[in-house]
Amino acid sequence: MALEFGTPEWARALAGAINASSEYRNAGAKWGVGFNGNILFAFDAGGPLDRSLYLLVRLEGGRSAGAEFVPGPSHPDAGFTLRAPFPLWREILTGKTLAATAILTGKMRVEGNTIALLKHAGAHRSLIHSVSSLDTRFPGD
Amino acid sequence: MDRLYQILQNRIEGAVATPDEFHPALMTNFGNLFQWAPRFVVSPASARDVTATVAFAREHNLTVSTRGAAHSQSRIAISDGGILLSMSSMSRILATDRSGQPGPTVDVEAGVIWRDLLRHLAPEGLAPPVLTNNLSVTVGGTLAIAGIGVASFKYGTQGDNVRELDVVTGTGEMVTCGRKKNVDLFWGSLAGLGQAGIITRARLDLRPTKPMTRTYYLLYHDLAPFLEDAKLAMVGGRFDHIESWASPCPQGLKPVGGRRQPFARWFFPVHLTVEFDPAHPPDDAKLLRGLSPTERLYTDDVPTLEFFERMTPVFDLWKRGGTWGHVHAWIESVLPWERAADIIESVLPDLPPSILVGGHVLLWPAQGRASQSRFFMRPPGENLLGFGVLPAIPPRYWEQARPMLENLGRLTELMGGKRYLSGYIDWTEERWREHFGEQWEPFCALKRTYDPDSILNPGFVPFPAKGASRKPKARAAGAPAAD
Repeated sequence: MALEFGTPEWARALAGAINASSEYRNAGAKWGVGFNGNILFAFDAGGPLDRSLYLLVRLEGGRSAGAEFVPGPSHPDAGFTLRAPFPLWREILTGKTLAATAILTGKMRVEGNTIALLKHAGAHRSLIHSVSSLDTRFPGD
Repeated sequence: MDRLYQILQNRIEGAVATPDEFHPALMTNFGNLFQWAPRFVVSPASARDVTATVAFAREHNLTVSTRGAAHSQSRIAISDGGILLSMSSMSRILATDRSGQPGPTVDVEAGVIWRDLLRHLAPEGLAPPVLTNNLSVTVGGTLAIAGIGVASFKYGTQGDNVRELDVVTGTGEMVTCGRKKNVDLFWGSLAGLGQAGIITRARLDLRPTKPMTRTYYLLYHDLAPFLEDAKLAMVGGRFDHIESWASPCPQGLKPVGGRRQPFARWFFPVHLTVEFDPAHPPDDAKLLRGLSPTERLYTDDVPTLEFFERMTPVFDLWKRGGTWGHVHAWIESVLPWERAADIIESVLPDLPPSILVGGHVLLWPAQGRASQSRFFMRPPGENLLGFGVLPAIPPRYWEQARPMLENLGRLTELMGGKRYLSGYIDWTEERWREHFGEQWEPFCALKRTYDPDSILNPGFVPFPAKGASRKPKARAAGAPAAD
C-alpha cells in the first residue's frame, strides 16, 4: 500500500529501503566516511505541496542510520542540504530529470561542500533511486 | 538553379557546388549530431578564391563557414544556408626552409592533411613538434581549435609551433600575421575557432627527428600511482611522447539508478616513448628510474614515422567495425592536477564500457607553461591532466546517453576544468563566458574588429548582439553555471 509522503512512516520506510538496496550499499560505501554524510532534503513549497517539508537522512558507509522529517530548513546534524521546489523533486523522483543535472545546472541548491557531493555522484543517484522506488502517495496524486 | 551560383562560380577558380551536387556528408561532421544544409559548397583553388568568396558573401548577405576534415562535433565545419568553404582543396605543401631561425619551417596551405605533411618531411628527418592522434585532419582545422597530442606536455599546442599565418578576415582582407606582426590576429586565429578569419597558409615550426622510437608499455592498476608517475615522466624531458588511457575491464552488470548496466574495473596503461638513433639505443634502466608501474608489459621499437601513425590502424578498425558513423559526443577537458583524481574517480565507476566500443578514455599529462596560446583555455597551474571520454554511440541510444555526457562536461567545468572545443559543445553564452573567463571580452573584441558583420562560422559561439551590454552577469563564487 502506498505510504503518504511527509509522514514518519514514510521516513522509516525510506531508511529501510536504503538499507535493503545493494546498489546503495556499493555506491555509497565511501559516503559519510570521515565526514558528516547526513543529508537534509528540503522540499520547498510549490505545486501541490502547500508547506515546505524537510527530511533528514542519516547516511554513513553505504547504510542509513535513520530518516525523519524535521521542523526547520536547517538541522545541526545535517552535513549537506539539497534544496529544490517540490515540482522539481517530483521530476527527479519520477526520473524525468537527473538529480546530478539539477545540481550541476544550479536548479537544485546545495548547502555544504558541492565538490564532495559531486565526487560521490553514484551514491546520490542510488539514494535518489531508493526514494523514488518507495510506493508513495505524493501531494497532488 | 540557384540565381547566385553562376555569379559565384565566375568569381573563383575553384569549384562551387549546390545542394543537388554536393555529398550529403558535407551536411554534418564527425559528431553526427547536427545537420545543416549549406547553400553552396566552395572548394577554393587558392587564397584568392577565399578572399573572393568572402567578398561575395558580404555582397549577398551570406555567411561563410570553414571545413577541413570536419573532425569537430558541434555546430562547426557545417553551414546553415550559407557558403561552406571546403578547405581540403587547398592542400599544397609549399616550401621547406631548413635554414629558418630559430629552426626549420615549412609553409603549407590550410587544407594539408597532417599525415601527408609528415610523409613529405620524413625523408628529411623533420616533423612538426606536436601531432594529433588522428593524422587525417587538416592543418587549418587543428590550428583553429588548438591541436594537442602526445608531445604537448613538451611543446604545447600545434598553435604554439606556428611562425606565421595568412588569414582572410571577415571583412575580406588577406592579412599576414605572426608573433611580431598583426599579433592579435595571429593569436586570435590560433585556437580562435575561425571567428576572426580563415587561415589559408601556415608557416609551421619543424624539429629534427631521430629514426627510431622505443615505447615502454607500463600498466598501473590504480589512479594514484599512475598520476605520480605521469608527473615524474614529464619532468626533465627524458621522454619525447607520453600517452595514457583509462582502460576498462568489464565486470558484468550492476544497477545504476535501478537499471542494470555494464560496469568495469579500470586500469591505467601508459606508453612512454623516446626517439633514438640506432647507433645509440636508449638506456632503459636510466629512463625508467623512479617509476613504479604495477607491470612493465612490453617494449616496442618502431621507425619514428610508424610511431607517428600508430593510431591509424586503430581508426581503421573502428571504421571497419561500423562505429565511425556513430554519434561522437566527445567530452575532452583539461583538468587541474589537484582535482583530476576526484573527477576521474567520480566518473569512471558509472561509465558503461559499452559506449567505448569504437572509442576510448584518454588521459594526457600536460604542463601549463608549455603553451602560450591566448584562446586555448586551460586551468592555472604547472601540471594539468587532459581527460577525454571519447564514446561512439549508436544513434538510437544518443538521447539515453546524452544527460550522462552533458553532466560529465558540466562536472569537469564546475571542478575547474576547461573543455577542449573540438568535442561536443552546446553552450549558452554564459557558459562560453565561463569558459573564456578574462579572455571572453578580448575574444569578442577580436570578433568585432575582424568580423564585424559576423559572417564567419556562425552558430557555434553565441557572441553578444551588437550594442548589447558587455558586462558579465554576476555569479556567486563556486555556484554552478546556469544552462
